[in-house]
Amino acid sequence: MTVEAPELWDVLSIAGEVWTSFIGPDEPLVPAGEEAFPVAWSGAVSVTGDWSGMVVVEMPEHCAVAATSRMLMIDEPSQADVSDAVGELVNMVGGNVKCLLFGENSLSLPVVALGRVTPPGDAVEVCRADLQWSEGPLRITVHSVAQSGVTS
Amino acid sequence: MKILVADDSRVMRQIVIRTLRQAGYSGHDVVEAGDGKEALDLVRSEAPDLVLSDWNMPEMNGIDLLTTLRASGSTVPFGFVTSEGSEDMRARAATAGALFLIAKPFTPETFGDALSGVLG
Repeated sequence: MTVEAPELWDVLSIAGEVWTSFIGPDEPLVPAGEEAFPVAWSGAVSVTGDWSGMVVVEMPEHCAVAATSRMLMIDEPSQADVSDAVGELVNMVGGNVKCLLFGENSLSLPVVALGRVTPPGDAVEVCRADLQWSEGPLRITVHSVAQSGVTS
Repeated sequence: MKILVADDSRVMRQIVIRTLRQAGYSGHDVVEAGDGKEALDLVRSEAPDLVLSDWNMPEMNGIDLLTTLRASGSTVPFGFVTSEGSEDMRARAATAGALFLIAKPFTPETFGDALSGVLG
């Protein structure tokens, strides 16, 4: 099945599967109300082709560190490990989003930033998932853009 | 047996290696590559019995790695482990000579199903 653009349900399903597979089967990721949190880590991938856009994952520091710790099964991941893990998380979400889309599209390598990733000025948010797991909140947004690009 | 795991994410390489163990494939030698070009060099120097490769990597991506290997006469068993598991990608992988494509996220059961015919 392909879609014209990703929807919230798609993102929730993909993120939930990523979480239970790599963070832990007993660590469900659940939808939450919009909650302001300090964005310490962001990861973004761009999709270009028949549909162009960006998928962005944002997390506070403790969430990013905890997710990395679960993925690597170590207690004190380095900053390089956290950057790598955030990039891989957004890569998996973005790759699976891309697979849902109609037409010919390609996926960029992930970009990871300390702080927020800024979508291009013409980006339009098409989907936003505010989520919660045992270690705190995270946010996944999907933006449609006329010309794909990422700045941090 | 020797398994080459190619992925630009060290975190993902560790998850792949751990999942191999969880799927019952312990005791194999594992060699790691951080991109397709390094993987190409390691296939030539290490002669692995199986390559598990990401698709989207810097320097040389996974499909170019596989195409280059086959063009050079290498018949090393090759499988993709990638976040992009669409039917189109699976068809491209199979046409290029890949034995399987495991989509991320995956489980030990997914690995077991894909590798049972390769690692026994």
